[in-house]
Amino acid sequence: MELHILEHSLKVASIAKEGIQICTHGLIKLAFLPSKTRCKFFSLTETPEDYTIIVDEDGFKELPQSEYLSVADATWLALNVVSGGGSATSSQPIGVTKIAKSVIAPLADHNISVFMLSTYQTDFILVRERDLPMVMHTLSSEFTLLRVVNGETVAANCSGVTNGFVKPKLVPRPIIHPLSSPSNMFCVTSLDPDTLPSVATLLMDVMFYSGGGKEAGAQNEDSGHIRFFSFSLIEGYISLVMDEQTTRRFPNNVLFTSASGELWKMVRIGGQPLGFDECGIVAQISEPLATADIPAYYISTFKFDHALVTLGVAV
Amino acid sequence: MSGSKPDILWSPHHADRYVICDSELSLYRIGAVGTSEAKAGALPLSQETAATLLAINSDTPYMKCVAWYPKHEPECLLAVGQANGRVVLTSLGQSHNSKCKELVGKEFVPKHARQCNTLAWNPVDSNWLAAGLDKHRADFSVLIWDISSKYSPEAVPAEKLRLSGDADSGMVVTKPLYELGQNDACLSLCWLPRDHQKLLLAGMHRNLAIFDLRNTSQKTFVNTKAIQGVTVDPYFPDRVASFFEGQVAIWDLRRFEKPVFTLTEQPKPLTKVAWCPTRMGLLATLTRDSNVIRLYDMQHAPTPIGDETEPTIIERGVQPCSESVISSFAWHPSTQNRMVVVSPNRAMCDFTVFERISLAWSSTTSLMWACGRHLYECTEESGEGGAAEKDIATKMRERAQSRYGHDTVQLWRNHLLAGGNDPHLRSLWYTLESLMQQYTEDLEQRQQGNKQSLIYAGIKNIVKSSSGTTETRRCWKGSDRPTDVAQYHSEERSLALQLCGWISRGPEIDVEPFLRSLEQEGEWERAASVALFNLDIRRAIQILNKGASAEKGDLNLNVVAMALSGYTDEKSSLWREMCSSLRLQLKKPYLCVMFAFLTSEPGSYDAVLYESRVAVRDRVAFACMFLNDNQLPRYIDKLTNDMKEAGNLEGVLLTGLTKDGVDLMESYVDRTGDVQTASFCMLRGSTAEVVKDPRVQCWIENYRNLLDAWRFWHKRAEFDIHRSKLDPSSKPLAQVFVSCNFCGKSISFSCSAMPHQGRGFSQYGVSGSPTKSKVTSCPGCRKPLPRCALCLMNMGTPVSSCPGKSDEKVDLPRDKKLAQFNNWFTWCHNCRHGGHAGHMLSWFRDHSECPVSACTCKCMQLDTTGKLQPSDYV
Repeated sequence: MELHILEHSLKVASIAKEGIQICTHGLIKLAFLPSKTRCKFFSLTETPEDYTIIVDEDGFKELPQSEYLSVADATWLALNVVSGGGSATSSQPIGVTKIAKSVIAPLADHNISVFMLSTYQTDFILVRERDLPMVMHTLSSEFTLLRVVNGETVAANCSGVTNGFVKPKLVPRPIIHPLSSPSNMFCVTSLDPDTLPSVATLLMDVMFYSGGGKEAGAQNEDSGHIRFFSFSLIEGYISLVMDEQTTRRFPNNVLFTSASGELWKMVRIGGQPLGFDECGIVAQISEPLATADIPAYYISTFKFDHALVTLGVAV
Repeated sequence: MSGSKPDILWSPHHADRYVICDSELSLYRIGAVGTSEAKAGALPLSQETAATLLAINSDTPYMKCVAWYPKHEPECLLAVGQANGRVVLTSLGQSHNSKCKELVGKEFVPKHARQCNTLAWNPVDSNWLAAGLDKHRADFSVLIWDISSKYSPEAVPAEKLRLSGDADSGMVVTKPLYELGQNDACLSLCWLPRDHQKLLLAGMHRNLAIFDLRNTSQKTFVNTKAIQGVTVDPYFPDRVASFFEGQVAIWDLRRFEKPVFTLTEQPKPLTKVAWCPTRMGLLATLTRDSNVIRLYDMQHAPTPIGDETEPTIIERGVQPCSESVISSFAWHPSTQNRMVVVSPNRAMCDFTVFERISLAWSSTTSLMWACGRHLYECTEESGEGGAAEKDIATKMRERAQSRYGHDTVQLWRNHLLAGGNDPHLRSLWYTLESLMQQYTEDLEQRQQGNKQSLIYAGIKNIVKSSSGTTETRRCWKGSDRPTDVAQYHSEERSLALQLCGWISRGPEIDVEPFLRSLEQEGEWERAASVALFNLDIRRAIQILNKGASAEKGDLNLNVVAMALSGYTDEKSSLWREMCSSLRLQLKKPYLCVMFAFLTSEPGSYDAVLYESRVAVRDRVAFACMFLNDNQLPRYIDKLTNDMKEAGNLEGVLLTGLTKDGVDLMESYVDRTGDVQTASFCMLRGSTAEVVKDPRVQCWIENYRNLLDAWRFWHKRAEFDIHRSKLDPSSKPLAQVFVSCNFCGKSISFSCSAMPHQGRGFSQYGVSGSPTKSKVTSCPGCRKPLPRCALCLMNMGTPVSSCPGKSDEKVDLPRDKKLAQFNNWFTWCHNCRHGGHAGHMLSWFRDHSECPVSACTCKCMQLDTTGKLQPSDYV
C-alpha cells in the first residue's frame, strides 16, 4: 500500500450562513472557473449550521476576509491511500472502511487529530502540517510513503525520529458523541467537467439559495430532513454529495450514477461542535464499521462530522 | 476528444476511409478529384483528393474516445467510450443484416460511472477491449471487456437495471473480464505488440505500469509525469512515447527506469502524439491551438542499451493547411508519410509529409540522393559526342591517367596529354615551353655574362623595362613605295616577339620560319595576317592562294587575296572605303584584322588590338611592332588586366609565372575548378614567391586530395616526386623512425650518424639489396632487433623471395622495387606486433587476425585504407 502525501497546503474555514453573499463571488470562481485561479483543491460543504470550505493557499486568496469567515488555525496536508497492487479482489470494502484499521486507528492511537473528506473518487485524510513527522513515523511501517513535490512523486523519508513520542494508548474507543440520523437519503456522485457549465446555474441555486431562510431549514428539520450538500473540485475531479430530492433536479445523464444506483444513509456525529483538537472521533465510528465490513463515506465539517453508510445499517 | 474538437481515425483496413468524431461520427471516403466516385458534394482535401461523406452516426452522445475494431470482419465496427464510462459498440454505413449486427448497440457498463478516457482493442485477441476510466474510490480504472460475452440477466436485479436506463437488457454487459488499477485513474493505455497479454497503463498517480493479464498482481512500473497518450512505435515494439503538457518522453521497455530521452518542450500542452505507421522512427506531435505539426525523426537515435550518447533527432515542423489551426491529425495506415488533418471547424486536409532528401557526392562525378523509399543516382553521360561538356573532375581524372603535366622536357606536349582540344591549355603549355626555353638560355647566358634576368616574368615586365627603341618606316616588301606605318624595335621587343613565337632567337627579325610552320598546320588566315603585319602583301596573297588550293581549302581565300591585292594607300579611295565597312562582315577574325590594319590610320590600331578572337600572342606581337613606347605599356597593362579578370590562360604570356600570373590563375580556377593545371603550371614558377603563395599551396593540396579521393595513389606519389623536383622545399621530412627497444636510439639515425663505421642505411634492409651484409642488431647497443612475427627472423634479415613467385616472369625493376618494400619494418599500432612488410601483406591477404598466436587483434581492419585497392596502376 502506498500513502501519498499531496503537496496542497490546505486551510479549513467556516462561513456563517448569513455571510455567504460576501463570499459567493470567490466561491463561484473556485467552483466553476478553475482556469481562472491556480487553485487545485476546493471543497464546499453546506450543513444546516454553516458552510465548510477546504481550499489550498492559492484558492484561499479568493475569499474575502470578514467577520463571517472563521478559519481553523493550522495548515493541513492531505493524505491519500493508494492500493499499489492491482490485486483483483472484487469484494473490497470501500471508502473509509478500507483505511480505518490501517490509517485512522493508528493515528488516533498517537493522538493525531484528523479531518476526513470522502469524495466520489477517493478519500482524503487531512492532518495538520505540524503533525506530519509523527504521521510519517506512525504510518511508515504499514505504507510506502510517497510525497508529491512539484508534480513529481518521490519517496518520502521518515525522518527517523523515534524517541520522544508518546506511547500509543491501546484502549478501546467507545463512541462518546451523540449520533443522529436524518430521514433523507444521500447520493455520492460526479459529473463530466465538460458538462459543468451546463449545470452551473442549477448548482449555484443548490449551493446558495435552495437552503432557503431559517423557516425552510426549520421546516426540514422538523420532518427529519437535513440540509446537506457537498461540492468538491480536486485536481480536476468533481465530486458531489446531495440528497435524493436534489438529484432529481438535474437533467438525465449528467450525473454519474453507479449501475446499482446506491443511496446512502447519513449519520451525524456530535451534539455540540466538535472542535479540532479532539482525536479519535473518526476512529470511534469507522472501526466498528470496518469490523462489520460496512462501506462508508465520512465527511468532516467545521462543527460536526458526517458518515454515510449503506441503507439499512444501524450503528 | 470533447464535443468541440473533432478527432480523426483512419480505417485500419480500408485505405480510403476515415471517421471524424466530435459530437457524432461521420464516415468519409477519400478519392481522387474528378473521378466518378467523387461526385458533387465532395469536399476537396488537396489538389488531387476529395472526400465524400458516406454516413453519419449520432447514436452515441457524450463521446470521449473511439477505437476502430482492428480485424477485417466485421468492418467498420467502432467502440465508443462515453463520459459516464460506458463503452458502446456501434457501426457506420453498414446494412442491418451485416455480420456485426449482434454486436452493434452492445454496451459495457462499469460499476461506477466516470469518464472513459481511452480505449484499445487487443491486437491479437480482438474480442478484448480495454477501457481506461477516471478514478473512483471503490472501483478499478481499467476494465477489459470481452465483446463476445453474453449478459446473464439473473446477475443483476431488475430494479437496478431501471437505474442504468436500459430496457434492452441483452445488450448490456456489466462484468468485465479483467479489472486493473484500483484507486487510480487511467489516462491512456496500449497493448504491447510483443506480448498481447501485456498492457501498458498510464495512471493518475503519475506512473506508467505494465501489467501481465496472466498474473495481474505483478507489475512493472515507473513514476513519471508523462502519462498521457502512451503509444508504441510500430517499428520498434520496445519503444513507447508518452507525454505530459508540452513534453514528450520516449521510453524503452527493456530499460524502463527512466525515459531514453525527452523531446524539447513545447510552450503549449500537447494534444496528440502519433508514430508514423509507414516510416520508421517518425513521431508527429500536435500542440493545442497550433497550425504546425512537429515531426521528430529518430531513425538514427541510438538504442538505450549500452549507448549513452546524445540522441540524434531531427526535428522539423510542417503546416498542412497553412494558417488554420489543427484540431487533430491521423497518419494514413498504408500510404507513406500521408496524413489527414482536421481543423476545429471540421475543415479537412489531405497532406503528405515530404521526406527529407539526403545527398552524397562520389569522389568521381556521380551524385546520389535518397528521398523516401527511392534512391536516385545521377551520373555524367559517358558517351562520346555528348552535347554537354564533360565535368572538370572527369577531365582531370582522364588527364591524370594520361600523365598530364608530367612531360617536363617538352612542355608543349602536355596539352596533347590533356587531350589536345583545349585552346587555353594549348596556349598555356606553348607559352610555358617558350618561357622555359628562354629561361634555360638565359641561365646559360648568365653564366657567361651578367645580363639581368627578365625571363619567366612575362611580356608585361619585359616591355616595361624597354629602352632604346628605334622607330623605322619600312617599305612594303617588293615595292619601293614607303609606308606611313611606323615600326618600333628594341631588344626587349624582339624578346617579346620571340616569346610570342613570331621570330626565333637571333638578332634578325625573320618571320619566315613561323609562317612556314603556320602554313603546315593549315592556319592560312593567321599566316597571311602575320605576313601582312610584316609588310609583305605578296607573301600574304601567296599564302591565301595556297590556302585556297590546299585540300579542303576555302575558295573564298582567293577572293580575299584579290581584295588584298587591290590595296592602295590612297586615303579616299573606293577600295579603302569599301574595305573598312565590308571587313566587319568577314567571319574569320584574322581576315578581318588584315583589312583593319590596312584601312586604319597610322598609330591607331584598336580594331586589331582589341579583336578578342585573335590570339593574344599575335595581338601582343603586333603591339610590340606597331605601338610606340607610350602606347605599348598601356595596352599591355590593359590587356593583362582583362586576361586576369577573365582568367584567360593566354594571359600567362603577359604575366609570366609571377604574382600577376597567380592572380590570373586564381580567376581561371575560380571559373573552371581546374586545380590540376594550376598546380602543374605554378610548380614551374620556381621563385619562392610564387610557389609559397597560399593560393598555390591550396591548389596543390587540393589536387593531391583529389588524387587520393580517386584512389590514384600512384599518381599522387608521382605528383609528389614531380613536385619535390621542382620545389625541393616540399620534400617531406622523415616522419617515422625505427628506434631500438632497448636503448631507444633511432636505428636509421644512428647509422647515418656513424658514416665512418662504413654502414650505410641499406645495411638494415630498409633499402638495401638482399645480398649485402645485413645488420640484425641495434647499432647503438648491439641488442638484436625484434623478430618478424611470421618468419621469426630478426628484422634486418632480408626477405627470402617467395618460392611461388620464382617461376613467374615479372619485369625486373618492378620486382626489385617491391623486394625493397618487402624488407620494410611494419607493425600494428594497436597490438604492436609486426614484421617484414612483405610477409605482413601476404598474411593479411588470407587472414584477418594478427599472425602472433593468441593475439586477436584485427590489425588490417583497423587500417581504414588497408582494404582499399588503388584504382590506378603503375
